[in-house]
Amino acid sequence: MSDQDKDPVLHSSLSKHLFIWSALLVISMVWGLWDEMYGIRPWKSYEARFEKLYSKYLATAKTGQAATERQIKGSPEYQRLDREMQAAEKAAIPEASAIDKEVNESLVPKILALNDPFQVTRAHIGSLTYEIEVSTSDSRKDSLRQEIQKLKDEVQKIQLPGPGEEPRSMKFDDMAKLLQDMKDKKAALLQKRVDVMKKATELRAGRDQYLSDRLADASTDTIAAVENSLANFDIRIRQIHVKDVDLVDRCESCHLGAREPVVLTKAAMGGEAVFTSHPSKELLKIHDPEKFGCTPCHGGNGAALSSVEKAHGYNKYWLWPMHHKENIDAGCQQCHVKEIVTEMADTLNAGREIFRLRGCRGCHRYEGFDREADEIASVNQQIRQFEQQKAEWLREAGFKEQKANNPRTSDADAKKLNAEANDLKVRSTGLDAKMEQLDMRSHELVREVKKIGPSLKEVRVKLRKEWVPIWLQDPHKWREGTKMPTFRLDADEIRAIGAFIWQSGVQGELPQQKPGDPEKGKEAFETRGCMACHSMGEGNQKQGGTFAANLSREGEKANYDYLVRWVHNPRQRTAPYCTFEKKDLTKADYDKHNLPYVFDLEHSRCPNDGHELQVQQMTPMPSLRLTEDEARDIASYLMTRKGTNASYANADYLDDPNLRNAGLAKVRFYGCAACHEISGLEEEQRIGTELTKEGSKPLERLDFALLGHEAEREGWYTHKGFFEHKLENPAVYDQGKEKARQDRLKMPNFNLSKAEIDAVTTFLEGSVDASVPPKYFYQPADQRQDIIDGWWVVRKYNCMGCHRVHTAQTTIFDTLTKYQDPDWKDQKPPTLIGEGARVRPDWLMRFLGNPALSENDTNRDGVRQYLKVRMPTFSFSDGELRKLVRFFEALSSQSQPFIAEQLDPLSDQERGMARSLFSSEGAPCLKCHMTGDAQHDARATAPNFTVARERLKPGWTKRWMLNPAMMSPGTAMPSGLFRHEENRWVFAGPTPSSFSGYPKDHADLLVRYMFQFTPDELNRLRSSAGSSGN
Amino acid sequence: MKKILIGIGLACVLSLAGCGGGGAPETAKKLEPTAPAAGGGAAAVPDEANGATITGKVTFDGAKPAGKAIDMSANPVCMRAHASSPQKPEDVVVNDNGTLKYTFVWIKSGLPDQNWQVATTPVSLDQNGCMYSPHMIGVMAGQPIAIKNSDPTNHNIHPQPSTNQEWNESQAPGSADKNQSFARQEVMIPVKCNIHPWMRAYIGVVAHPFFAVTGSDGTFTIKGLPPGTYTIEAWHEKYGTSDQTITVGAKESKTQDFSFKG
Repeated sequence: MSDQDKDPVLHSSLSKHLFIWSALLVISMVWGLWDEMYGIRPWKSYEARFEKLYSKYLATAKTGQAATERQIKGSPEYQRLDREMQAAEKAAIPEASAIDKEVNESLVPKILALNDPFQVTRAHIGSLTYEIEVSTSDSRKDSLRQEIQKLKDEVQKIQLPGPGEEPRSMKFDDMAKLLQDMKDKKAALLQKRVDVMKKATELRAGRDQYLSDRLADASTDTIAAVENSLANFDIRIRQIHVKDVDLVDRCESCHLGAREPVVLTKAAMGGEAVFTSHPSKELLKIHDPEKFGCTPCHGGNGAALSSVEKAHGYNKYWLWPMHHKENIDAGCQQCHVKEIVTEMADTLNAGREIFRLRGCRGCHRYEGFDREADEIASVNQQIRQFEQQKAEWLREAGFKEQKANNPRTSDADAKKLNAEANDLKVRSTGLDAKMEQLDMRSHELVREVKKIGPSLKEVRVKLRKEWVPIWLQDPHKWREGTKMPTFRLDADEIRAIGAFIWQSGVQGELPQQKPGDPEKGKEAFETRGCMACHSMGEGNQKQGGTFAANLSREGEKANYDYLVRWVHNPRQRTAPYCTFEKKDLTKADYDKHNLPYVFDLEHSRCPNDGHELQVQQMTPMPSLRLTEDEARDIASYLMTRKGTNASYANADYLDDPNLRNAGLAKVRFYGCAACHEISGLEEEQRIGTELTKEGSKPLERLDFALLGHEAEREGWYTHKGFFEHKLENPAVYDQGKEKARQDRLKMPNFNLSKAEIDAVTTFLEGSVDASVPPKYFYQPADQRQDIIDGWWVVRKYNCMGCHRVHTAQTTIFDTLTKYQDPDWKDQKPPTLIGEGARVRPDWLMRFLGNPALSENDTNRDGVRQYLKVRMPTFSFSDGELRKLVRFFEALSSQSQPFIAEQLDPLSDQERGMARSLFSSEGAPCLKCHMTGDAQHDARATAPNFTVARERLKPGWTKRWMLNPAMMSPGTAMPSGLFRHEENRWVFAGPTPSSFSGYPKDHADLLVRYMFQFTPDELNRLRSSAGSSGN
Repeated sequence: MKKILIGIGLACVLSLAGCGGGGAPETAKKLEPTAPAAGGGAAAVPDEANGATITGKVTFDGAKPAGKAIDMSANPVCMRAHASSPQKPEDVVVNDNGTLKYTFVWIKSGLPDQNWQVATTPVSLDQNGCMYSPHMIGVMAGQPIAIKNSDPTNHNIHPQPSTNQEWNESQAPGSADKNQSFARQEVMIPVKCNIHPWMRAYIGVVAHPFFAVTGSDGTFTIKGLPPGTYTIEAWHEKYGTSDQTITVGAKESKTQDFSFKG
């Protein structure tokens, strides 16, 4: 090897290295560029794909839509409309074009020709007038005026265009007049043209309406418009920016189809769910994305664009992860926090209902759920404030009078001071009125507070002793799906708790009842309405509501005599409870004051101290106003409901006084008083943590215990994961822990189904410190607030078990096998859709207070006496009555206060006509509606007309008669009773001869007749109906 | 040279990928029309010459119910119509040969997924003597039902379907027939008159033409069935349903009897 060979300058080539490095450089640059363009901007490829898929879909949609449009355009009806339109247009065109010709070829050129010289002169006059106004010397003004006159008198030669037009000599005023005349003529001609074309224009609108009425999807025009805008599609970040709340949501950079006018499904967009339209246009209408954005409802990180995970907020430490599909309603809760029912949020509503009804709120405070307790506190505070205010005003009035009486005060000042003092006195009497109302409210609120579980004060009179330990062991084993959760109790705890409960029960005497007829009782139980709340049967045999207990094994646990009293009046207590003394009163307390031992809603003051007593059982269960015999029948039936081998071990140890104290400690520990009334524990505090903001509690503060790592590994280290696992197994976070018994997790197992867990999780996930400012909260100041308040009462008493309150809802009766039969369908309770428009608020208030609408005949329904089921008496407080009436009025948007509509009086002739129609063979009114005749009413299926006047609103009554199926689909009242004829409604069947020549509306006549209906008239009607052989 | 080869290779791969990418929608497109074809293809008609025929009778096992006459006293017009012989309810009508009248027999499942041409002849449902006549009818979905009122009194027709739309129309005496139809298959739809609560009819609405109602001889015939294995159901308003499986070939005639216990 020579030196030359070794010379690196000559022989060592760096080109290889250079090549590699430059290749690497190029590659990294390409990669860098690519990453810059697409890698960190994945949304770009979404946009590109969207554009492609959308155009493709639009093309196919257009052909499909075009075919549909062709089909409609080919239909005989459309053809007819089109022909009529064409014919009308053809007929009108000659005249219209003649007008056009005259306007365009004759008038307009003339107006233009005259306008020029006229405007020149007018401008000149105008400037001279201005000079007059600004000049200071009178002589100058006069000369200017003369100049103007000269201009006006000047004769101009005008040649108007058009044949036969001679040159004219015109002064200014003549020109003005001619110009105005021509303009008037033009306007008149154009108006005439509109009139001439009117028919054709209307027919064209009708034809186009016919087409659009029959096109469910976007029309080809819409599609074409979208296609046009898509042609200018550019790839850019699409964001919603709401400045005043600092909201930046770029979700639509990928979710491009969300707000498209054409409805996009996953299938339409090549299987890419990301491009689908928002599923509810209606929700978007209420919550305009331009104002609300996306993330306030859905969660996620609106500003993030770098990855799906980050944008959806599923990365670690992001506080607002997007709600999963099964919890999508969670987003509603933060703003709709005051509601128990939110429209279009069924899962959330279900979650709230479980939280309320299953007793979660007994242990866990949740702001807004203790409505009655909160109101008691607020009422009492207001009373104190008003008392202070009153004292202050009266003191000030005293000072003022004192000062007025001072001789050194001037007369004028004294007068003024006295007037001010009087004003303060008068205003303080206003405070008296307010305080009186609040005081009444505070008394009735005691009645409104309910408990989830039955009162345990009654155990001794109500239950079989041996059954108590069996129940405590595992309520769900004994009664599937019951509200009472399963506590993890050992044998000692069960003995102790049972003993305390048994020994703390009040002593009382029950009248001994004779046995009833279980057969009749079964019939009554199934038809009176019990099953709207209670279920019967087990497994797939189960029928009825879930609002209250399943009664399939009632006979194994209950005492018959107690059951009779309970069925007859569930609110009846064995002993009243004084909220002030905090004790159950006995006969001795009343004897001391020489008072009879009587306590009910009329006798609700404590004999010892005059405070309001708890005189009712704290149950929402109403009285069905049954006779004692019926109550005995139903109770006898319930006593037959038992398992085949129902024998329980002796439990005399429940009377062991040594167990009592240990039992009390356990009852306190497990928080039994959260759901039950228990002697001595009426004022117990909650034992659970507050959950109002649980969804935004920092994740570290949720105790995953030993499962934290597992949760992270398995991807459920989130609020959702915590709630779901806890609800599924409340002891889950004790797993692997060495804990003393009293330190273990207390929460019992509610045996919730997957759907129920989803619902409660949704509710809790949405229970957050809101990320939006309070102005976004749903706090309406109008009637909608009445709807919010009303729902709480409706839910509290389970009105929806019997009644349909909104259209998309089913009642328990809709699910009962018995009520599927066409005959029983008419026995369902009435629907309450549009109730506020139907009945007068004053009547509704009366009916809700006393559904029998009678003081002495209470064993009936006040309106529909033909129904086996009946509206029970709930003993609503005045406050609840007000809320319910306002609720129905608000749902139907009725204006407040109510002013009754005045109807035209009925002439004798009209009364005769209406009567003859009512009793004619062609009008079936009296065949279904009650008449007060017992034999007839036994078969009736509709209310009596005599109550119409005080019950119904006339406007509603007419709309109802014209088309009942529209207002209440499935009603027994037939449609098609009237037909429309020359701007009025006439009876569709044969009318009596007296109707010939009657020019007025028949439906109006019948409404006026009904609203002036008297019992006398009913008798006349009945007898004339009888004679016509109806 | 290598570069060229690599280049060619790359081009091939790319073009293949391109082909692959283009291929997928192609198949999707092909698949698409088959789905609507099931629902939207040309409507079929039963082939009576080559199809199979199923005949049979519905027998009744038990004592013939006596049946108490309907009390129409509340409506003299109705009562007068039955002055000579009181009307008995038609829920259970046992024929003299021990068979059951008014049983609805239909092919419940097993038919190929296709559309059948909807018959356009209206089926009549009359209100005569405050009774529906006949008590039970069968129609195809979409087939018109002509409802008549032959009585001198007002009736209302109130079908109570569970999947079709419910309606309730008044029909005055002497007024024109009402033409109605039901869009969806539903076995059975009860019909009642709220004014005359004893009146009851049943309408069987079927998506195909293979159904029959037993008459006064208790027999039924279903003609023109394509060869296949079917579930055939007999439906009675009081005694419930009874399902049988039957296989028929082309031009074959088979007998399938049903029996209900009283």
